[in-house]
Amino acid sequence: MTDLDDFRARVRQWCQAHVPPDWRATQTGVTEAEFAAFQKAWFAQLHQAGFAVPHWPTEWGGGLSVSEQIVLYQELAAHDAPRLVLAFVSIHHAASTLLAAGTDAQRQRHLPAILDGEIWVQGFSEPEAGSDLASLRTSAKKVGDSYVVNGQKLWASGGMHADWCLLLARTDPGAPKRKGISYFLMDMRSPGIDVRPIRNAVGDSHFCEVFLNDVTIPAENLVGAENAGWQVAQETLGAERGMTMLELAERLGHAGFRWLVEECAKPGVDGSRPLDDALVRDRLAQFETEISGLRGLCRKVVESHGTAAVEPADPSIVKLFYSELLQRMMDFGAEIGGLAAHTVLTKPMSSGWESGAWVLDFIGSWEWTIPGGASEIQRTIIAERGLGLPREPVAS
Amino acid sequence: MSDFAEIHDELRSVARDLLVKDADWRQVVDAGWVSLEVPEALGGAGASFVETAILLEEMGRAAAANRFLGTTLAVGALTALAPNNSRDELLEAVGTGTSAAFATGFSVSDGTISGRAEFVPDAAGADTVLLLADDRGTPVVVTSSGLTVTPQSVLDATRALAVVTAERATVSQVWPLAIDPSALRDRAAVAVACDSLGVAEAMLTATVEYAKVRRQFDRPIGSFQAVKHACADMLVQTSVARQLVDAAVSALAGRDASVEAAMAKSYACSVAVDVVGKAMQLHGGIGYTWESGIHVYLKRAALNRSLFGSPAEHRRRLAARYH
Repeated sequence: MTDLDDFRARVRQWCQAHVPPDWRATQTGVTEAEFAAFQKAWFAQLHQAGFAVPHWPTEWGGGLSVSEQIVLYQELAAHDAPRLVLAFVSIHHAASTLLAAGTDAQRQRHLPAILDGEIWVQGFSEPEAGSDLASLRTSAKKVGDSYVVNGQKLWASGGMHADWCLLLARTDPGAPKRKGISYFLMDMRSPGIDVRPIRNAVGDSHFCEVFLNDVTIPAENLVGAENAGWQVAQETLGAERGMTMLELAERLGHAGFRWLVEECAKPGVDGSRPLDDALVRDRLAQFETEISGLRGLCRKVVESHGTAAVEPADPSIVKLFYSELLQRMMDFGAEIGGLAAHTVLTKPMSSGWESGAWVLDFIGSWEWTIPGGASEIQRTIIAERGLGLPREPVAS
Repeated sequence: MSDFAEIHDELRSVARDLLVKDADWRQVVDAGWVSLEVPEALGGAGASFVETAILLEEMGRAAAANRFLGTTLAVGALTALAPNNSRDELLEAVGTGTSAAFATGFSVSDGTISGRAEFVPDAAGADTVLLLADDRGTPVVVTSSGLTVTPQSVLDATRALAVVTAERATVSQVWPLAIDPSALRDRAAVAVACDSLGVAEAMLTATVEYAKVRRQFDRPIGSFQAVKHACADMLVQTSVARQLVDAAVSALAGRDASVEAAMAKSYACSVAVDVVGKAMQLHGGIGYTWESGIHVYLKRAALNRSLFGSPAEHRRRLAARYH
């Protein structure tokens, strides 16, 4: 037995003791408040076991090796544990920003608070700044020791539960668009903030619009230098993507694929099973093969992170391939599920992107191909950064 | 990780240089590539399939027309046998340039061998053809001097394939096979997957280079999003194929590799055809000419896809695990 085998055994044992066997049933059709309470309780349990922020440095409460993190996510996926949805931005994006670019005071203030359940939201996109994020217009004007912020943010996932916001705002309107942006930590209880949920295609409302009307942010909440916000965002945006993608790939490979096979094994109206159809079997084998390739790619990204073996386009390749594979698999599930799949009107909250509610999952898969750099943007990044193809000429 | 890990990059770059210059068989043998997996005591390097896989990929990248595939499959069959004088002699000879091939699907009875295998790589003109045969339920590897080997013309001019026939031919040597014969089948499938990965990578590289320099509408065609996105898809497919091929290559070194082999063969060989097809498309009119040579890769990729089990056949094996 190696140390890693011991660790795997420990995680397995913990999962068997702690993953609520009926959570999918009890978390179907719950209110936003019940969802948030369940998420916070699950986070606290993971934290107590040392599994909530394994990727953080030891001194802040993390410190698992990359191999241990891989094992942890494999086992959580294998045991179909609830996903950390609500704390996602807090433990990944907020933490990596603070660790990479925050001041000591900012880290002291927020990292322990995140472990106690402080929830963060990302305030990047705007109505006129989606794929072209650098054209954002929300302004922050320096007034004394503070900045006064005005504008509108969009697609702030989980905005109604958030305590704090990672905010990009324009501090120098005269500078070239990437050189006039600053990065702020914004207290969501500040006066002048109005959060309005947007109902999405699936029917739920975790995305929010955030209206900012003369919101005051103290200067000590600036991250990095004034007007250097774009670089801070670039450096921290993809930093944690490898391990989060690995978790999603493991989930797709465990429950996601298993349910797809189970769906195909259900007899149809004429009594025959799709699984006995050669074409269906071929599609399943194709999916299983692609999932294996994806899992390998994710492992490579996390294992090569920070080494010479890292390929600049790999995070984009992983994001693009996962998104489109998820969409094709959920599409197939919806097709096989037939009319019965259309009677599944809600899916369990806290589940992954594959929940077994095929039609909803299929519709929800556009939440992968559009946000976080749409598939078209990813292909451009892959071609330019990965293959060195020339940039599009800028329109004069 | 194998002890040879540090020489992988060197092996790769030496192979790339030599194969670009159309290395002949003698150079391939002298480079030590055939004897890579031959034990050190028999004059080889005592390496593993991991190292051979690097060369197979480079053969694909160069669309090399030599006997390496057939010979390395024969080496794989010989190294799978228990050491003994006759096997050792043959293995040593192959390592130093005796050409060999490997055919499956024969049966032994009363000291004679019968059967027919089609599309056997590099069997025509081989000094020795090893036959995988069934001897009343026991898998054996056999040589026979009474074989008929008939070359089969195929569109891919870089491959030499042949029909090997034995009709109650006298058995010269027979060795019992200690491992499951499916391991040799997996090895052949993965060998071709490595080749297809090299084919795909060569065509991706060539297409990207071309898209950077070919100008239309006063700009490099690689700056057009339609071209760029097609190239991005080629890189995505090739990257996923590499993961599956690497996984299959390392699985072959140890335990049963049938799942990994089926995944690598079906995916890499399908993807290679897609990638070369896009390469021909993105090269435009010049890509369709004989002179551009892209057709050579397209034919090789399409042949590889059918050799040692089609993607659908390999996926059928995977699907046998679903209930």
